[in-house]
Amino acid sequence: MAAILNSLLAALPRKSYLRLLPGLAPVELVFGEILYEPDQPIEHVYFPTQSLVSLLTLVEGHLALEVGLVGWEGMVGFPLALGVDTSPVRALVQGGGPALRMGAARFRAELRRSPPLQRELHRYVATMMAQISQTAGCNRFHVVEPRLARWLLMTRDRVRSGEFRMTHEFLSHMLGVRRVGVTEAASALQQRKLIEYTRGAIKILDHRGLEKAACPCYESVKDMHRAASL
Amino acid sequence: MSARRTPKQNRLLAALPGPELLRLLPHLERVLLPLGAVIYESGGAQAHAYFPASGIISLLYVMKDGAAAEIAVVGNEGMVGIAVFMGGGTTPSRAVVQSAGSAWRLEPALLKAEFARGGALQRQLLRYTQALITQMTQTAVCNRHHLLEQQLCRWLLLSLDRLPSNELVMTQQLIANMLGVRREGVTEAAGRLQADGLIDYSRGRISVLNRAGLEKRACECYAVVRNESDRLLQSQIALVA
Repeated sequence: MAAILNSLLAALPRKSYLRLLPGLAPVELVFGEILYEPDQPIEHVYFPTQSLVSLLTLVEGHLALEVGLVGWEGMVGFPLALGVDTSPVRALVQGGGPALRMGAARFRAELRRSPPLQRELHRYVATMMAQISQTAGCNRFHVVEPRLARWLLMTRDRVRSGEFRMTHEFLSHMLGVRRVGVTEAASALQQRKLIEYTRGAIKILDHRGLEKAACPCYESVKDMHRAASL
Repeated sequence: MSARRTPKQNRLLAALPGPELLRLLPHLERVLLPLGAVIYESGGAQAHAYFPASGIISLLYVMKDGAAAEIAVVGNEGMVGIAVFMGGGTTPSRAVVQSAGSAWRLEPALLKAEFARGGALQRQLLRYTQALITQMTQTAVCNRHHLLEQQLCRWLLLSLDRLPSNELVMTQQLIANMLGVRREGVTEAAGRLQADGLIDYSRGRISVLNRAGLEKRACECYAVVRNESDRLLQSQIALVA
């Protein structure tokens, strides 16, 4: 059997995973695609395998801030695992690539009969809560440059690659700052030879250096994930 | 048991069907929540779960350097101790009593066992978790995008919703700590609200004089959080009925 490319699915006992498998359809997520909108019914859940999905809040209809990132370690649509069929945020594909998808009705049915799936998802939601609260705290106390470094590292961990595409405009929504702020922070990191950033392509050159440049929130959330996967 | 001292003062417990509440009843212990008491500390041992009957508990995110900012408030609509049933590691957070009151508390092992039964309590706790996530999300965006005055209005309104009167016992320094801002900023914003006749502030007591006016000055974050909590809690009660 091929390796399971989503760590949430990989953590399930084999029997639970095999039960789930026929309901999981491989799909290709496209950059910029919206998987669900605030307060609209969530129609599918997605387990990214080599894609990245951003959870964004809207203020008066405009993208305002990213509060969570979902990659191969998680699932998009976790409110369904809490018995709620809508979310207050927008789920937007940030890095195109493959994912596994399941319809909401089937997912609910599978969840009802699989305590291991419930347990894994509950743990995962706990890590998402840590990510959201960390975002709230980080936004309050940290300036753009360490936050950008943190964001780049979190993205790297979720796409498992030090190279990805990202426009300034997108980054400004992610971090909730103006575009000029992103430009300044990105050039500072580039001057320190930590990243290379040309025409929307980001390449991490020195990840240890970037870790040092990031605010401690990066470590906090990583610790949380580590603890949750024990 | 007098009407004033029943676990039904907590709305999550009140919405449980009779048999489930009866099963928990012998294990629910009433405790006082004195102002400033820390009921959960980041990295500490697995604490009890608290279902507030009155008062407010503030959840703070604690940074590695010790700085802290409030990410959510919990009153009798909710509970503190989500980590008990969700599993995973310890959240880098602290739970502090922001407004004195009382709570019903439960041993973590008992809550876990009841949660694992998959009944009404599990359904409610999960829906409450989503309501709390909404509140945290909104706090994150509010910290980033809204003026301190709007944030102060949001914070006052969320607190008032969890209190029986229109009065809050709270110093400006404490509010500043909650919001993660400097005290001077809070003093200025509170001064403007007072000058406009919306609040009265004296010697650590804030009285809200014009609630509708305060709602107008708050950012949309307040309404988002309140509507989502109402929606999730109402359907909870509908499930039981």
